[in-house]
Amino acid sequence: MFKLNLKIALRNLWKNKGFSLINIGGLAIGLASCMILLIYVAYEWSYDKQFKNSDKTYVVYQNLVASGKTFSWPWTPNVMANEVQEKIPGVKYASHSTYPRPNLITVGENRLSAKVVFTDPNFLKILDYKFIKGNSNQVLKDINSIILTKSFAEKLFGNEDPMNKTVKLENQDVLKVSAVIEDAPANSSIVFECLMPWTLFEKREPWVKESNWGNNMCLTLVQLRDNNLFSSANAAMEGIYKRNSKDNVAVALLHPLTKWHLYSDFENGKSVGGKIDQLKIFLLLAFCILLIACVNFMNLSTARSERRAKEVGVRKAIGSTRKSLINQFFLESILITFISTVLAFILVEISLPYFNNLLNIKLTIDYTNSGFWIALFSLMIFTGFVAGSYPALYLSSFEPIKVLKGLKIKTDSSVSVRKVLVIGQFVFAACLIICTAVIYQQLNYVKNKPIGYNQANLMQIAVEGKMHDSSKLELLKTQLLKSGAATHVTSFSSDVTEGGNNTTNIEWEGKNPKELISFNHRAIGNDFIETMGTELMSGRALSSQLKNDTNNVMLNEAAVKMMGLKWPIGATITFWGNKMTNVGVVKDFVVESAYQKVAPMIFYIDNHSDASVMLVRLNPDQNISSSLAQIDEIVKGIEPNYPVNRKFVNESFEVKFQDEKLLGTLSNWFGGFAIFISCLGLLGLALYMAEQRKKEISIRKVLGATTGNILTLLNKEFIKLVAIANLIAFPLAYIIINKWLSTFEYRISISFLPFALAISVSIVIAVLTVSMQLIKVAKANPIDALKYE
Amino acid sequence: MIKIENLEKVYKTEEIETTALNGINLHVKEGEFVSIMGPSGCGKSTLLNVMGLLDKPESGSYKFVETELLTLNDRERSNFRKRNMGFVFQNFNLIDELTVFENIELPLIYNKVPAGERKKLVNEIIGRMNIVNRSSHFPQQLSGGQQQRVAVARALVTKPKLVLADEPTGNLDSTHGNEVMELLCELNETGTTIVMVTHSSHDASFSNRIINLKDGHVISEKINKGRTEELI
Repeated sequence: MFKLNLKIALRNLWKNKGFSLINIGGLAIGLASCMILLIYVAYEWSYDKQFKNSDKTYVVYQNLVASGKTFSWPWTPNVMANEVQEKIPGVKYASHSTYPRPNLITVGENRLSAKVVFTDPNFLKILDYKFIKGNSNQVLKDINSIILTKSFAEKLFGNEDPMNKTVKLENQDVLKVSAVIEDAPANSSIVFECLMPWTLFEKREPWVKESNWGNNMCLTLVQLRDNNLFSSANAAMEGIYKRNSKDNVAVALLHPLTKWHLYSDFENGKSVGGKIDQLKIFLLLAFCILLIACVNFMNLSTARSERRAKEVGVRKAIGSTRKSLINQFFLESILITFISTVLAFILVEISLPYFNNLLNIKLTIDYTNSGFWIALFSLMIFTGFVAGSYPALYLSSFEPIKVLKGLKIKTDSSVSVRKVLVIGQFVFAACLIICTAVIYQQLNYVKNKPIGYNQANLMQIAVEGKMHDSSKLELLKTQLLKSGAATHVTSFSSDVTEGGNNTTNIEWEGKNPKELISFNHRAIGNDFIETMGTELMSGRALSSQLKNDTNNVMLNEAAVKMMGLKWPIGATITFWGNKMTNVGVVKDFVVESAYQKVAPMIFYIDNHSDASVMLVRLNPDQNISSSLAQIDEIVKGIEPNYPVNRKFVNESFEVKFQDEKLLGTLSNWFGGFAIFISCLGLLGLALYMAEQRKKEISIRKVLGATTGNILTLLNKEFIKLVAIANLIAFPLAYIIINKWLSTFEYRISISFLPFALAISVSIVIAVLTVSMQLIKVAKANPIDALKYE
Repeated sequence: MIKIENLEKVYKTEEIETTALNGINLHVKEGEFVSIMGPSGCGKSTLLNVMGLLDKPESGSYKFVETELLTLNDRERSNFRKRNMGFVFQNFNLIDELTVFENIELPLIYNKVPAGERKKLVNEIIGRMNIVNRSSHFPQQLSGGQQQRVAVARALVTKPKLVLADEPTGNLDSTHGNEVMELLCELNETGTTIVMVTHSSHDASFSNRIINLKDGHVISEKINKGRTEELI
């Protein structure tokens, strides 16, 4: 019986090639979209979960109330790890480490900038990276040792065995390779190329040795003996700052390592989500796309029902039960799903590289993973059952006598079910169009919002090695200006597109002494205003030529507003215990997030070589590539041991929009697929309707209807469906985008435009799809349909 | 009124070619009632379809008054058809979803007749056809004879110059069949030209002239004297 059913199913597929193609194609695209999204979700979901004990591992966060807001950071003092290891109950290991930072590594003439983490032996007990060479118990103890990742070892030594060979760090320390480990997985929060002992860090930067509870400078990882001990350990963590340093108001907490990546947003000191919200959207999207592909299948299969009716009648008449018919139709749908899955696989494999490129990640299908096959198999069975359910139940319900006698099957109810399904598909498609449009509007709005300085032609060069010497920096500036590559040059104490140092140690007259207010503080060089292309709102700019300016500061507008200064120029401000005078007010400019209001900032003149970047305003009259060549030459002349590390400010600024861009791109693509699949569904319905109404169309033609008349008549129905779908989608989409937008401080107001776009796009596409199919019927010789009655 | 010369029509399938019309010549005068008879497959329905511009022949000429119709394009054919021709089919071909009134009204809508006038014309013909109390019913609620009367009414409502009938009594019993034939005769007496395809010599006896087809040829023509004299 099974064999026979399979035969019938295959013959049916072959006989109705057009239908089969639409059916399988639609399902394959739906499955492929769903698979890619699921692979992506799985990738994000498995972040930091590759370690054996990752579920027992925690990251220490600190909560600090400042400016009336609680800030939560995974930055902790250097002494935290020891204290936790000794005093907190239930802790198995605690480790301190730096965040990955670029350092110069040299082997002979091979100079590479590598992501370096300085850490202690516990780090490798908490995170069990796989050792390829060397002993995990012996490493990070010798001060002059280094652990390389596999790919970095290859970069340095090629195919040679790196063990016990030496490398040079920053041209100063000679380190012996003590182990080689597997590369850190791409989906982990800490990605590095080599590990070095903490003791080496202390040797290189003596201030690190001082025990200081006020300086949050490293990452502390904690592994508990058992997760039952979490609540007691976390409770004991809370007061750790206060116990060790009386005035410290910071509060520590343990945040699970496995949630570090996805639940990184904190509000009032509590984790409130983060990337997980986006992931949930993608999961929903995956499910919905699969569902509309299933709906297609239902539509197309039932549309074909009249042709199958006779088969059902005969089978029932010769003794088939309804159950065995249901089984037969399920078998067919699972067969089609299977073919679609194979096709979907090919699509996924073809599109993954493109998708990876788009999102800048590395997704692969792990064919050796049994979980993958189980997931795939269940996805296939699930799809087959969902897609096959309605047709199986509907087709098997035909009464044999009626269909055999050739009576017309009353199809009113099935038509309305199918209409509901099509409306459902288009509700989803319209929602996606609206959401995508709003995401793009918002992204554009924030991108084009004035950021307070001129990004174009602004470049920053990292200050490295010898450039830290202020005389060399001055030399660099003079040479850059002389070469004609730059019109203005200044220094800045942190990356201009990123957050950086902030302090609450600022006092002024009229300040509420109980309130902590966080100020960004930046050291600047001469010509800061001109180089940045920002504006001085009042007063004058700081200058190192003026002796007194070491006691003067500038504020930004946000700081003036926060401090409530009526006469900002000349105001006295106590900054780190020194009395300073404000001489100028700088226009607010964005350094961190373009989505948030600009925070208060205080500027002081750089006189202790605090510069971490040189800002260079390129000469607009000179060819960019020759300017760049000149800059590279000049920088290499001053510090030949480092690769030149320069970047355009607008390029680094773009990176800030990555999350939203990703959301936009994904909803654009998958929205497109959803619309495409919905149109296939519509096509199916149109085919069905054309078949049903063939006779009517012919009569109308005989009576004088033109092709245009017929198309209008048939399109009206579909336009009605799509219009209803849009009306349902509007409030839904409104709620969704309103919720999404509410997370942004700067946001667009929802306009009429995305809605108009959705309804016109969906109607135009629907009419085109339907007309393409129906024009054949409308143009056909009317007598063909009337002849064989 | 109609001059058909050397009409040829071939049906092609993958394997065989069937010649349905093989050089047909036929003239129909205004006000004539012509029956086309012949065995199954002789091409009579094809001829009628070509005359009704529902099908295209391979070659030949078809002149209506002075207009050559075979060179018209799709839209022109459609326009010509709706202004000049009415159809009656064996299986009535009423639209199930429309009421009797709406079915009859349909050709007027395609002829862009204003709504008020449409109502008048439809009511007038419904009266003539004796189906007044049926006007809001759906086709399936009527008997076969009533359905065919609706179909005839629909063919006549535009006052066509030519009515083409394809076995109009084929699906009816003899009583209802006679009713329909009498209707056509009355119509013919008011000046409408009628071409009818039929199997039944009884039906054919109502016409002025009977044309016999076989294998796509006209094999004989017979003037029906009784009727012709009546006409004179």
